[in-house]
Amino acid sequence: MGDIRQSLLPRDVLSAAKELLYHLDIYICNMVQSGRQPPQVDTKTLDLIEEFILHTPKDRNAPVRRMSALQELQLLEIMCSCFQEQSRDTVRQLMFSALFNLQGNQADESRMALLSKLVSMAVAVGRVPILECAATWLQRTHRVYCVRLAQVLVDDYCSMVPGSGPTLQNIHSASPRFCCQFITAVTTLYDLTSEELTPPLELLQMIVSWIQDDHRLVLITFLNSPLSGSQPLSSLDVTPLGGLIRWCVKAPLAYRRDRKPTSSDGSSDGAPDAARLFSALHLSVLQVFMLLPTILNEKGLFGRLALLQMESVAALTSDLSRLLDQADKHTHAATADAHAASQLALDRLAQALQVAMASGALLCSREDLRAICSRLPHNNLLQLVLSGPVMYYNNIHTPPLAYSPHAAHSPIPSHAAIPTLPAHTPHTPLATHPASHAQYPAQPFMSGMPFPFRPGH
Amino acid sequence: MSAQKDCEFLVKRARELVSDDPCAAKAWLITARTLYPTDFNIQYEMYIIERNAERTASAGRLLYDMFINFPDQPIVWREIAVITAALRSDSQEKHAQFLRALFETLPGRVQCEMLLKATEQCFNTLEKAEMLLLLLKRFPESVVQHGVNLGETLLEAEVSENVESPVNCFRKLFVCDVLPLVISNMDMRLPASLMQKYILKAAEFYIGYVTRGPSADMQIQGSQDGATLKSPGVSRGSQRYVIDGLSEKSSVVAEPWERLLDVLTMVGARCEWQGDKGQRSYIDMLQRVKELCRYLPGLEGETRSRYYSQVVICAALVLFRSAFLYVSAVQPSLFQGVAGITSGPWILVEDLSLVYSDVEVDRGMLKHTHKKRKLADGREKTMSSDDEEGLGKGRGRHILVNKTEMPNWSETLESFRTARESWDLLHSHDGLEAEFKKICSAWKTESWLWFRIFVTDMIIYQGHYRKALSSLHQMAAVQQPQPPQQSPTGQASLEHHRALIQQASCHYALGEYRMACEKLLDVVSGLVPPNSELTKATEDHSRIKSKTRKGNDLRLLPCTTRAVLPFCLQLMLACFKLRAFTDSRDDLSLGHVVVLLQLDWPQGEILFLKAVDKICQQGSFQYENFFNYVTNIDMLEEFAYLRTPEGGRIQLELLPNQGMLIKHHTVTRGITKGVKEDFRLAMERQVSRCGENLLSVLHRFCINEKIIIVQSLP
Repeated sequence: MGDIRQSLLPRDVLSAAKELLYHLDIYICNMVQSGRQPPQVDTKTLDLIEEFILHTPKDRNAPVRRMSALQELQLLEIMCSCFQEQSRDTVRQLMFSALFNLQGNQADESRMALLSKLVSMAVAVGRVPILECAATWLQRTHRVYCVRLAQVLVDDYCSMVPGSGPTLQNIHSASPRFCCQFITAVTTLYDLTSEELTPPLELLQMIVSWIQDDHRLVLITFLNSPLSGSQPLSSLDVTPLGGLIRWCVKAPLAYRRDRKPTSSDGSSDGAPDAARLFSALHLSVLQVFMLLPTILNEKGLFGRLALLQMESVAALTSDLSRLLDQADKHTHAATADAHAASQLALDRLAQALQVAMASGALLCSREDLRAICSRLPHNNLLQLVLSGPVMYYNNIHTPPLAYSPHAAHSPIPSHAAIPTLPAHTPHTPLATHPASHAQYPAQPFMSGMPFPFRPGH
Repeated sequence: MSAQKDCEFLVKRARELVSDDPCAAKAWLITARTLYPTDFNIQYEMYIIERNAERTASAGRLLYDMFINFPDQPIVWREIAVITAALRSDSQEKHAQFLRALFETLPGRVQCEMLLKATEQCFNTLEKAEMLLLLLKRFPESVVQHGVNLGETLLEAEVSENVESPVNCFRKLFVCDVLPLVISNMDMRLPASLMQKYILKAAEFYIGYVTRGPSADMQIQGSQDGATLKSPGVSRGSQRYVIDGLSEKSSVVAEPWERLLDVLTMVGARCEWQGDKGQRSYIDMLQRVKELCRYLPGLEGETRSRYYSQVVICAALVLFRSAFLYVSAVQPSLFQGVAGITSGPWILVEDLSLVYSDVEVDRGMLKHTHKKRKLADGREKTMSSDDEEGLGKGRGRHILVNKTEMPNWSETLESFRTARESWDLLHSHDGLEAEFKKICSAWKTESWLWFRIFVTDMIIYQGHYRKALSSLHQMAAVQQPQPPQQSPTGQASLEHHRALIQQASCHYALGEYRMACEKLLDVVSGLVPPNSELTKATEDHSRIKSKTRKGNDLRLLPCTTRAVLPFCLQLMLACFKLRAFTDSRDDLSLGHVVVLLQLDWPQGEILFLKAVDKICQQGSFQYENFFNYVTNIDMLEEFAYLRTPEGGRIQLELLPNQGMLIKHHTVTRGITKGVKEDFRLAMERQVSRCGENLLSVLHRFCINEKIIIVQSLP
C-alpha cells in the first residue's frame, strides 16, 4: 500500500480519506478471502489511517492536515455508509478495529474523538452495523476509554440537547449488545461519589425502562460471549450488574445529599422520581439474578463463574460504610429521614447480596460476607442474610424442594458451627418449634461481632 | 431464632411496603424466597401482589410455582377454585377475564392437572362435570380416560337427582358438550350398544328442547303484552328460556335439529351403518333406510340387529322431526308464547267444498265407501270397524289448504307426508315396530301432546276415524282445559274446540250424523258470530278445483271464528242433506237444509231447486221455523211463488203453530183468508230482514234449535 500514500498525498483531505477507506475495504476483503491467519491489518496500513483519516502528523516536518467541521461531517457520513453497505460482518469488524482499536500512541486522542462522533451519529441515524462494531469495541477496550465514549453519548443525548433522549432510547431495539455495553459503561462512569458522577434523571429513566422491558438485556454480552475469562484485563465488566447494584445501594444516600440544597428552597421534584426509579431498578436487578441459575446451569458454569466479583462487593461495602459514617457526621443528629435512607441502602445491599449469592452470581461463603460487612451498622435484613436461613426449618406444609438450585451450591457455614457449641442441645427438628427456639444461640458464629440480634420482631 | 419468625418478618415488611412502593415489596419477597424457598406464605404473598395488580404473566408464573411446590395448601386450592369458577362462567366482568387469562398463561400440563385436581375437590355434580369438561375440551387426549365416565356420571345424576324432564342441566351438558367430544375421538372404541344409548339420549334431549312449551314467565309476559302487541320487547321475551341449573346463555341450544343430525352422522360412522357416508339431510336419511329395509328379511344375527337399529333410529328421528315441523305449523301455540304466534292453529277436517253439489254425487260416493250400509230408509248404520276401508281410503288423499292464509303450506304438507312415511316404515316389520315401541315407551311419547296431535291427524288421514275418535278423547284428557279468559281474543277457547271440531268431522265421516251435529253445535254455541259478512274468496278458490275432487279429501281449516262457523254450518248441511232428499218425507230435515243453504248463496242453488222440486212433489211443506231463519230474498220469492196458482198452490205451513190455527179455524168461514193474510204479512216482514247478518241468523238457528236439530237425526 506504499504506492497509495503517494497517490493520497496530493489529494485534498476529504478525498484522500475517502480513497483510503475505499482501499482499506478492498484490502480487508482480499485478506479475509485469502484466509490469512490471523487476519491482521499491517502496520503500514495503520500508519496510513493515522495519517490520512486521523490526521496525525507522520513526523514533525510533515504539514498538519486539518479538516473543516463540514469536511469532518462528510467523512463521518462516508464512514457510516461504508459500514452500512459492507454486508460481511468479519470485514466490517476488521475495518472498525483497524480504524478504532487503540494503539497506545498519540493518534489515540483523535481516534477517540472520531469514534465518539461516529457512534453518536450512528445512534442518531440508527446505523445498526456501527453500533454492533462499537459494542465489540466496548468489550475489548480499556474501561477508561469505554467510559469516555459513554460520557460523550450521555452529553450528546441527555445533557446538551434537551429532548433528544428518545433517540438514545432506541438503541435498545437497534442493538441490544451495544445497549448492554453502554449501560455497563455508564454504571462504571457514574459511581455516585459526587454530583457530577450522579446519572442524569433522563438517563436513569431510560435504563430503568430498558431493563424493565427486557431483563435479559443486562445479560446480553454475557450470553453472547463464547468463553468466560476471555475478557481483556481492565475492560468493562461482562454485565452491568455490579454497577447497577452500586447505584441502587448508594442512591438513597447520594440523592439525600443532592437533595439538600433543593429542599431548602422547597422544590425537590426530581428526588421522589429518582427514588421510585431506583426502587424499580433494584427490583429489576434482583429479577435478573433470578434468571441466572437456569442460564448458568445451561452453560455448565453454575458455581464456576462469578458474575459479581467479590472485590467489587468489598469495595461497595467499604464505600457504603464510609458514606454512612459521613452522613452521621454531617447531620449530627440522626433524623428519621437520614435513618430511613441508610436503612434502605442497607436493605438493598442485603437483598442484592442474598439474591446474588442464591443465584450463583456471587461465589462466596456467608463468612466471607460477614467479613466485608463487619463495619456496617445494624440492619435486620442484613443480619438475617449474613447469618443465613435457619436450617431446621419446620414448616409442616413444605417438604424440601428440588426447586432451589442454590441450596446445593452456596455453602452455609453458619450451621456448620452450630453443633460445636457447648450450649447447644441436640436438635430434633420437629420438637424445636417454635417455642423452643430460644434454646438456639442466636448467633453462635457471631460472638464478639457487632451483630447482636437477628431481626427483632 | 426460628425460621418461621424470619419468614413472618420478611412477609410483614413486604406488606408494609406494598402500597407505597410495590417494587420494594417485591424485592423483599424475592430475597425472602431465596432465603426460605420452601415457605409457602412468602410465595403466596408474591402471588397476591401480582394478582391484585392483575399482572397476568407474573401471577400465572407464581401460581404455577405454588401449584408445583405446595400442592397440598388449602389456600392454593381456594385460589384454583376461584379461577376454575371464572373459567366455567361466561361473565365478562374484568376480574373474571383476568382470572381466565391467568389460567391461559399456565403450561398445558399444569392446566390439565389443575383442572383434574379441582374436579376431585368438587362435590357438586354439575360443577364437577363442568370442570371436567373444561379439561376434556382443552386436552382431547384426556377424553379417552374421562369422557365416558363423565357422560355416565351425568346420566346417573339425572336419576339420582330425580330430574323429570330430559331437558335438564345434566343432559344438556352430556348431549351438547360431552357427547360430541366422546364420539368424535377416534382413539376410543365404544360398543355399538353404548353409542345407540347415547344417540337416543341425545335425540330425547333435542326433541324435548325443541318441543318445550313456552315457559311460564313467558306466558305471563305474553298475556300482559296482549294489549300492546307492537312493543318490541315481546319477541325478545319469547326467546327467554332457562334450563334449571344453567345460565340463560348456556341454556340456549342453537340449531338443535342440525346438531342432532351431526351426532347421528358421527354415531352412524362409528357404528358402521350402511351407506352412511356424510348424510346431508333427514330426508336423505329416510330414503337410505327405506332402501335398507328391503334387505331386512334376508338378514340374520348381528348384522340384522345392526340394520334394525339403524333403520329404527333414523326413521324415528325423521318421524319426530317431521311431525314436529307439521305440528308447529298446525298448532304453533304449543311451542311459542302467545305473543309470538303469527298464524292461528289449523284443524285437519273432512273437506266439505262439495257440500252444495247434487246429492247423487254424495250418494254415489257413500255407496262406494260404505257399501255395507243399508240405505233403504235413509238411515245409515255405522260400521263396527272402519279399519279395512280406512286403509283403502288413506291412499292419495288430498289435503286442501288456503295457500294465502298458510304461506308455508307446501313445507307443512311435505312434513306431514314425510312423517307418515317414516311411521309406515317403522310399522312395516314386527321387529322394527317392537324397537320403535321401546323408544316410545322410554321417552313416554304418549304424554307428548304435540305428537298425539300428529298421530291423530295421521289416523284421520288414513281414514281410521274410530281410532281417531278415541285418540281425540285421550288427547282431551292430556290437554289441560284452558280458562277462556287467558286469551282476550277468544283464541284459547277456539283451540279448546279444536278437538270437538275434529270429532264432529270424524263422526260425520263415519256417517254418525247425530253425534257429528251434537259436537258441532257444542262448538257453535261457544262462538260469537263475526260482525261483518264473510268474503267469498276462500270458497271461490276451492270451487275452481272442485271438479277434480273425489269427495274424500281433507282440508286444513284455520281455527278462527271466521272459518269455523261456516265449516260447522256446512257440516250440518252435509249431515242433513242425504236425509232430506231420501224418498221418504222429512220436512224438518228439508227445512234445516233450506235454512243452511242460505250460506254461501247462490252456491246451494241447485240443491235448493231440488228441495223445491221435492216440496212440489209432496204438494205441501211444513217448517214452522221458516220465517225465523230464512231471510234470503231469492228463497222467499220462490216460496211466495209456490203458494200461487202458477206455483202449484203448494200448501205451506211455515208460521209457528200454523197447523194449530188451521185446525182451530176450520169451523169458521174465511179462516183460510186470515191465514193467507198472516203469511203475506210474514213474507213482507221477512223481506225487510234481508239485510240482517246471515251468520248471526244461522248462529241463532244453531243455538235456539239445538234440541230439535239433534233430535231430527237418528
